[in-house]
Parts: sequence; C-alpha cells; structure tokens
Amino acid sequence: MHDIYSFVSGPLAWVAFIAFFAGIMYRLIDMIVQVIKKEPFIFTYMSLKYSLRSIIHWITPFGTLNWRRNPILTIVTFAFHISLILSPIFLLSHVTLWDEAWNISWWTLPDGVADIMALIVIAGSLFFLIRRLTQREVKFVTSTSDYVILAIVAAPFVTGFLAYHQFFGYPIFVILHILAGEIMLVAIPFTRLSHMIFSLFTRAYMGSEFGVIRKSKDY
Amino acid sequence: MKKGIIAIVAVLFVSAFLLITAHSQEDMKVVDRSVFKNPQKFSSVFKHEEHNEKAKIEECNECHHVYEDGKLVDGESSEDRRCSDCHKLESSGREPSLVKAYHTNCKGCHQKNKKGPVMCGECHVR
Ligand code: HEC
Ligand code: HEC
Ligand code: HEC
Ligand code: HEC
Repeated sequence: MHDIYSFVSGPLAWVAFIAFFAGIMYRLIDMIVQVIKKEPFIFTYMSLKYSLRSIIHWITPFGTLNWRRNPILTIVTFAFHISLILSPIFLLSHVTLWDEAWNISWWTLPDGVADIMALIVIAGSLFFLIRRLTQREVKFVTSTSDYVILAIVAAPFVTGFLAYHQFFGYPIFVILHILAGEIMLVAIPFTRLSHMIFSLFTRAYMGSEFGVIRKSKDY
Repeated sequence: MKKGIIAIVAVLFVSAFLLITAHSQEDMKVVDRSVFKNPQKFSSVFKHEEHNEKAKIEECNECHHVYEDGKLVDGESSEDRRCSDCHKLESSGREPSLVKAYHTNCKGCHQKNKKGPVMCGECHVR
C-alpha cells in the first residue's frame, strides 16, 4: 500500500497536473491559431463590452432567458458547478498537501461545508444522469461518451466522500480517489469537459456577434 | 467544620496532583490538537510508548529535538517542551508550521521506512 500510495500521490500527480495545465495551454493556443487561419475577421468585431455583458448574464442564476425557462435545471446546474469547482480548490486536505509539496497555501472551507458540496455534486450527477435517461429530447442527443464524462466527474466526489467518512475500505478509497481526480484533470483539456475553459470564449464570441453585428442580446 | 474543609482541600490537591502526573507520555493515546484554532480533523492516533517500542526508536530527540544556530544538537532533547512551544501555526523562517512539523516528522519517517500510516485517515481516525 505504501508503494501504491507514493506512486499515485507522487509521480502520477505530477503527470496529471502537467497534462492539465499544458493541455489547457495547448487547446487555447490551438484555438487562437485556428481562428487566425480560418476566420480572422472575427477579431474585427470582438468587443470587450459585449463579451463581458454576455459572460456576466450567463454566470448569473436566472440572468438569461434560457436560465429562466427551466428553473429546476438552472438551480441544479449552478449548485453543481459552483460546488464542483470550489470544493476541490479550497478543500483543507488538498491545501495541506499542496503546502507540504509546494509551499503554497490559501483560505480553506470548513470540512463540513465541503462535505455538503460533495453531496451536491453527487446529487447533481444523478440528476443529469436521470435526465439523460428519461427526457426524450436529451436522450436523442446523448452518446456513450456523455455517460463516461459524467462518470469521470462524479468519481472523485463519490470516492472522496467515502474516504472522508472512513465508512469501509479506507486505504482503497483514498487511492481510488486520487486516481479518479487525476483522470479528471487529464480529461478536462481533451474531452468536452474543456467547456470549463471554452465556455468563456464561446460567450465572448456570441456576445460580440449579437452586440456588434446583430445589435441584439444573446441572453 | 474546619477539619472538613481541610480534608476537602487536601483531596482536591491530591486529585489535581494525580491528574497532572497521570498526564504523561505513558498514557498518551492521541496527539493533543487543542492548540489548533478550530481543528477540522480527528486527533491523530499516537500511543507514545507503544509506538516508540514497536518502531524501535531509541532516541527521544528523533522527535523532541533541539536546534542551535540551525544545527540539530546531538544528545540533547526537548521532551519538557511541546512542539507548539517552538512551532507556531504559521511557518517562520526555517521553522515549519505546527501542522507541517507534525506531518514531516511523522509521515516523513513512515514514508522513509515504508512502515506506519501515511494516509490522512490512518492517523486521523474517526
Ligand atoms: C515518534 C516521535 C516521538 C519520540 C521518539 C518521543 N516522543 Fe515524546 N512526544 C511526542 C509527541 C508528538 C508528543 C506530544 C507533544 C505535544 O503535544 O506538543 C510527546 C510528548 C511527550 C511528553 C509530554 C507528555 C504529555 O502528555 O504532555 C513527554 C514527557 C515525552 N514525550 C517524553 C519522551 C521521552 C522521554 C522520549 C524518549 C524515550 C520520547 N518522548 C520520544 C513524540 C515523540
Ligand atoms: C525547542 C524548540 C523546538 C521544539 C520543542 C520542537 N522543535 Fe521542531 N524545529 C525547531 C527549529 C528551530 C527547527 C528549524 C531547524 C532548521 O533551522 O532547519 C525545527 C524544525 C523541525 C522540522 C523540520 C526539520 C526536520 O527535522 O525535519 C520538523 C519536522 C520538526 N521541527 C518537528 C518537530 C516536532 C514533531 C516537535 C515535537 C515533538 C518539535 N519539532 C519540537 C525547534 C523545535
Ligand atoms: C523515526 C520514525 C518514526 C517517527 C518519527 C514516527 N513514526 Fe509512527 N511508526 C514508525 C514505524 C516504523 C511504525 C511501524 C511499527 C510497526 O508496526 O512495526 C510506525 C507506526 C505508527 C502507527 C501505527 C501503529 C500501530 O499500532 O500499527 C501510528 C498511528 C503512528 N506510527 C503514528 C505516528 C505519529 C502520529 C507520529 C508523529 C508524532 C509518528 N508516528 C512518528 C516510525 C515512526
Ligand atoms: C502519520 C500520522 C499523520 C498522517 C498520515 C496525517 N496527519 Fe494530519 N496531523 C497529524 C498530527 C500528529 C497532527 C497534530 C495533532 C492532531 O491533530 O492530532 C496533525 C494535524 C493535522 C491538521 C491540523 C489540525 C486539524 O485538525 O485541523 C490538519 C488539517 C491535518 N493534520 C490534515 C491532514 C491531512 C489532510 C492528511 C492527509 C493528506 C494528514 N493530516 C495525514 C498526523 C498525521
């Protein structure tokens, strides 16, 4: 168990973090190169004002027509994404480890709050799963990869929750938790989870096109 | 009446004395975490005597160390002081913060020897 733990929390963690950050850089540079090559005219109407206007509306709960149309989906989406992003970054246990490894540290959430956020992510994942299985219009556009991606996102939270509570098989769940987190980090730049970075640019582009060219709103 | 009061005071003194002396490393089962503000983890398991016997640690200053001018002093130990007397909640200079001092000391040795707990919940047992 010592060797496995040292491996997944040492070299493998390095690989995952490097793949995550290098992958994001690569995807961003690739995006800019593609735009310059294929559609450089986009730059002529990109507007900071309309970009921010669109982004701010879309990150505000019920800030867009679309968000208001389906209130339950909107609430779940926001609670899910906020918990998903904040809890791993501000988890005391993660910050403790980063502090020991890299001498960096910042403010942390109380463990009890992080615990609830993990439950929100797990419940949200179940909601999205059931939605994909039952809603005809969603099922129609669902492929196997959607289920795989959902599993990749839910896994670190399920294993983390089980490990934190030390219900049973503690060392196994810690190792599975670390592995699951590393898989998710690597998957973010290279799967549709890349919407973590690209959604901002999509909104900036849409906001500018609607604001400058169509003189209308995209929210 | 007076005798009664003296007897009560005497009993109080004796029990206070017993309480203080009973609190020695032989009875230690966990590491005290009361110096941490708002601790979030369960106290770390550490049966002082049993641990050091099992782990075959001879020198007290393996943990209770003394530094002078940044150098570890051989043959001197500081078991009369708490780790938290020197290690504060925040790191300062070359002195690691209290959490880091514990984790480096405890986990570091376990990792080096591939023996003893290294995962959070193996020490911070519910
Ligand atoms: C593996 C590390 C380790 C070793 C080796 C070790 N100790 Fe300790 N000891 C501790 C820790 C940790 C504490 C708790 C310190 C604190 O709370 O600040 C402690 C506390 C004590 C205390 C205070 C007990 C109390 O309840 O306040 C005494 C006395 C003590 N140790 C004596 C010794 C002696 C004597 C030796 C050598 C024979 C020794 N220790 C070896 C880790 C160690
Ligand atoms: C008398 C003060 C004092 C006490 C008591 C003390 N330390 Fe230290 N400790 C220091 C100083 C000073 C340093 C910095 C050494 C240097 O300059 O590198 C240090 C460094 C350390 C380090 C990092 C260097 C190393 O040895 O790996 C660890 C870990 C550590 N202490 C753990 C502990 C633990 C655990 C306890 C309690 C059992 C403890 N210390 C008690 C003064 C103390
Ligand atoms: C110098 C080396 C060393 C240091 C320092 C050390 N340990 Fe250990 N520890 C060991 C070894 C070796 C074992 C395995 C003993 C065995 O089971 O053979 C062990 C085992 C343990 C165990 C499991 C005990 C059991 O009964 O299986 C716990 C809990 C533990 N250590 C806690 C701590 C804590 C807490 C600290 C810091 C205060 C600490 N250790 C510091 C060497 C060390
Ligand atoms: C070898 C034993 C050991 C392991 C493994 C260990 N710790 Fe600790 N930890 C301690 C000791 C000893 C203390 C100081 C006293 C206490 O809390 O009982 C401590 C204190 C802490 C504290 C500060 C006090 C509190 O409750 O908030 C945090 C936070 C912490 N540990 C987090 C972790 C995390 C996260 C992990 C896993 C990544 C971990 N520890 C693994 C021994 C250990």
